[in-house]
Amino acid sequence: MSRLVKKSPSVCTDLPLDNADIWNKLVLLRQLLTSCFGPTARLKQVHNNIGGHVVTTSASSVLLPAISSSQPFINLIKTSILNHVSRFSDCGLFAGIFCLALIEQAKQSGLRANVSIRVNRHLLALCTSYLQREDCGCKVNLDFCSSQNLITLARSIISSKPACVLTEPEILHISKLAVQAFLLTVPCTSPGTVSLGRVVTVPVEGHPVLNSAVFPGLLVDIPDGLCLSSADHLCSSLNMVLFSASLAGDLSELGDGIIEVHQGVDTESQILDQLLELGKQVVKDEVKLFMCQKVIHPVLQQYLRSHGIIVVERLGITLMEPLTELTGAQPVAALHSVIPAKAYGKVKDLSIRQFGSKTMLHLHPVGESAICTMILCHRNETMLSELKVVCQKTEHVLRLTLREPSALLGGGCTESHLAAHVRHQTKNEVSEMVSALQCSHTEYLHGVEAFCFSLESVARALEHDGGNSLIDLTHAHHWTLPAGIMKEHMEDSLCSCGCGLVQSSPCRKWTYLNTKYAEFPPAPLLRENTVHPRVLDSFTAKLNALQVAVETANLALEVRYIIQDVN
Amino acid sequence: MLGSTILNGRQHVGLQKLSALAGISHSCLGPGRKYKFITDDTSGESALVCSCFRIVESLQLTCAVGQLVHETLQAHQKVYHSGSGCLLFLAGAWSRAALDCLQQGITVPQIISAMFEGMEICADVCRKCAVSTEGLGVSHKVSQASCTVQKHKVLNVSERRRVKLSRHFCESTSEYEVIPAPQLPDITHLAEGLSHNCDDTMKLVVEAIQLQSETNQQDSRRFAFDVSKVMTCVLPGLTEGHACVVQGSVFLLSAEQTSVAHHLNEQALKVALITGDLSDTYRHVGFNRPTSVQHVSDRLNLLGLSREDEWVEKAVTVLLNLEVNLILSSGVACEKVIQHCCRHHILVVEKVKASVLKTFAASTGAVPVTYVTQLTQHSVGTGVKSAIWRDLSGHKGTTAAAVSVSTARNSGLVTAVLTSCLHGKLQALEDQFWACAYRLHHALNDRALLPGAGRTEMLCIHHLQRRAEMHAKQELKGVQQTQPGTAAVLRLMADGLIDYTSTIMVNSGRFSKVSARTVVCQHVQDVNTHVSSAASFPQLLLEGDPAVKLDKAPAVEVYDNLSVKQEAWRKALDLVSLVLQTDAEVITGVGQSTDNLMML
Repeated sequence: MSRLVKKSPSVCTDLPLDNADIWNKLVLLRQLLTSCFGPTARLKQVHNNIGGHVVTTSASSVLLPAISSSQPFINLIKTSILNHVSRFSDCGLFAGIFCLALIEQAKQSGLRANVSIRVNRHLLALCTSYLQREDCGCKVNLDFCSSQNLITLARSIISSKPACVLTEPEILHISKLAVQAFLLTVPCTSPGTVSLGRVVTVPVEGHPVLNSAVFPGLLVDIPDGLCLSSADHLCSSLNMVLFSASLAGDLSELGDGIIEVHQGVDTESQILDQLLELGKQVVKDEVKLFMCQKVIHPVLQQYLRSHGIIVVERLGITLMEPLTELTGAQPVAALHSVIPAKAYGKVKDLSIRQFGSKTMLHLHPVGESAICTMILCHRNETMLSELKVVCQKTEHVLRLTLREPSALLGGGCTESHLAAHVRHQTKNEVSEMVSALQCSHTEYLHGVEAFCFSLESVARALEHDGGNSLIDLTHAHHWTLPAGIMKEHMEDSLCSCGCGLVQSSPCRKWTYLNTKYAEFPPAPLLRENTVHPRVLDSFTAKLNALQVAVETANLALEVRYIIQDVN
Repeated sequence: MLGSTILNGRQHVGLQKLSALAGISHSCLGPGRKYKFITDDTSGESALVCSCFRIVESLQLTCAVGQLVHETLQAHQKVYHSGSGCLLFLAGAWSRAALDCLQQGITVPQIISAMFEGMEICADVCRKCAVSTEGLGVSHKVSQASCTVQKHKVLNVSERRRVKLSRHFCESTSEYEVIPAPQLPDITHLAEGLSHNCDDTMKLVVEAIQLQSETNQQDSRRFAFDVSKVMTCVLPGLTEGHACVVQGSVFLLSAEQTSVAHHLNEQALKVALITGDLSDTYRHVGFNRPTSVQHVSDRLNLLGLSREDEWVEKAVTVLLNLEVNLILSSGVACEKVIQHCCRHHILVVEKVKASVLKTFAASTGAVPVTYVTQLTQHSVGTGVKSAIWRDLSGHKGTTAAAVSVSTARNSGLVTAVLTSCLHGKLQALEDQFWACAYRLHHALNDRALLPGAGRTEMLCIHHLQRRAEMHAKQELKGVQQTQPGTAAVLRLMADGLIDYTSTIMVNSGRFSKVSARTVVCQHVQDVNTHVSSAASFPQLLLEGDPAVKLDKAPAVEVYDNLSVKQEAWRKALDLVSLVLQTDAEVITGVGQSTDNLMML
């Protein structure tokens, strides 16, 4: 007999942005993301309510997945930011803050939603076309002949996450390692299509950060170091085999259904026999290194070791791809057939490296290979896990520079510069745009103001300690004035702008970033300038974040009803 | 229902929590520490604890800061085995300092950068006043004879030894480039200085080292104190005076196995090493048991032999064929196997540590295997001897004898047998033993020590205060390079260290809180700028209150570990900086909304 439960009707929310509850949640989310932004950000402790593991972070890629709201509207924005982060790694917080500020400003300016959407779309196009222009004032071309700008780019990302708790020399060390690792993944000589290698990160807890290092080749953890005494000085090219199937000797891949086994039959020993057959073939084929993603039966291990083969088990799924790339082996997924000759791979050399309590087997490639391993050390687990996230993000951002070799000025300068540019540009084209966008003159100006204010609010989000954000009236760069300093002493306490390109001088004029100022064309900096920017942001990531933020905000503004199935 | 909650911590609840948590470390500091009882109201169970790490471990801290503290202490304890009290105390003291700074309107980034500057100063002080262990204690005796003031060699930054000062070098006049053999530190002197009032336990450690180095004849130059080859064996029921160090490893046996041990006493044995359980149901880690297999049979099992019996039969046959007399297993053995083995005079020892198995493997030639059936002639080791170390059959309880197992080719394995009439105290005694052992281990590894008894701390306080004054002057002058508030932060950091030192003095029972503080401050003030070396300070923690006269033998030189102290300080600062920068907790999976929580 089946029981019938009456379904409760769906909940429909009309005009979600007018709903006080949703509005408060949006404001809260914006405050949360804003407080996580930049190098002096406040951290968040993420944990569950039953005392689970605590994660301390300010990275959007860690924080956002932990936030799950009962409100689909919040989840919509969250998912959109996370999608951006998963593709570009960087600028997640930028996208989130900008998007939420756009929604808030559009609502507060009292504009009709469709007008806001049209103006935002137009201004986005204006921004992207400016950013892609050759003479864009907030863009720097990356020169691969020198590592300086690459290190600055890496440094900006690493120093923007204070949960790593790094000192200046430590930040520099990690930045250099990140660039070094990135350069190792770019193959030197390969005709035709170039495929990049990869960086495998190995965290080691309880050691000084300055012990972190990058090695070409792969380092594989061997917890059972005891069985490897003979491998110290093995040289020349070695045959190896790599298994992706479990060699534990169990019947794990049975699937559903029941198997009937005769009482006298010992399935375990039969599988073990099969495994030993495999071992015999491997010995015959003169394999010297036997690796498996999963567990290897102890009897097989013993058999292989007694024939002088180095056995490494439990590699884990993440190491499989780099291993196949490094050795040229094809992972064997079955244990019932003969291993084909082409499945075997080769390594040139093996050595043992010790990192604290970790013993690692270092695999050197036979030819040129773009695989490298980054050993990351830190004093405790919390800081180490954040450092790992940041380093992976840096690697990704550096890769993006190969596609588009430029970077944007950091420290809030791109945002303030872009806002000044938009203000100036729109001033000149008000009448034509008003007709094109089908809105009134004031509506257009309000829309522009909302957009520019939102952009500037991202620059202002960098300050968390009561300081003031300023903009200079020549280059429109972003400056920070520490709290408690009067405007009269401004020249003394400001030495350079957020990105470090513009220096303070007596003739420079500033205004507060949240006040109205007369529009002006932001002057580009002289190119022969010997000063290098101190902070750089990823061009590709920020451009996409800009688009994601505007499109998400436009979508949010357009939502009329939320229909929620509460069953 | 899943939801997320955001707690706003504008009053900095986190720092307050950290400082409150650190309160438990107060009576766990210094040589005069006290035992504590932790009782569970629901189950009525209780535990006797003596170290900060054990307290935090026993309290089930569910809050985020508590978790962070536990994680940090665990990581520290795993490597250093001491200094957890110092870590937690300073985390608390410096979080109070940070709170104070916040109230004075100093911003978070300013506090962080000033605190890191302070840590750099302290690290610098430690580097400069570190004493090389080389020849330590040897020169001590010489200087005593010649009635000169003992001078410590200062460790160079590049760790080059200033061997010119050595009397051995001075005597040899002819050669220019003689590299003198590094002088051995006098281990008893080191141990005395590092015992921190645990003299009896430290004696055991020194005995262990001496036993180890006796056996290591080929390299008598160096004290190879291999901590990984030291074992402990706790034996309740005997008084603490019975504690001792035994060569080889000591295992406790049941009454049934004692007879086997008597039979095998002082014979050359063959040993098998098993890394798993000794039972028919045991499978190696990672083996998935089939869930959907049914066994069918077309006849009845008339023999009445179960699978287990069959397996035991097979296992014992293997063992007998290989003439194995002793099995060391890292897992447990099933009852039937033990019985069968006893019948055939095979001694089974369970729950042996992996590192011990490894040592036995290296010194007997045995190869550790997972299953008994894997054993071959090749994987069985020889040259092992077992001896009844002590017959305990008179005592009540499950253990009937302690047997010592040693190898002919000496492996350097030694066991400290720790005894106590109080069962609850054994854990604390074991912790104390490891703390002492690791203190010596790290001292020999670092090849340097810090002047103890509060002297390093006082020097740090002195330097912190001096730097604070310098910053204060610059701030007055309005020099742009200094961050505002640095002076205040450094001064408060120094206060934290004053608090630490005076708490230890109070724990010694010879000072009141107030007098301890004044004594520390007085000594710091007395220091002239040109004699700022740690040796110029008195060993405060050994002194009595000037008001209370005590008759005492001349004090021994007390030392602290360089790496342990530095690491504990740095971790304390890490904790403070992580908590200080945190402004919100994101709690996932909140069921019902609580009043002061903000829901997303």
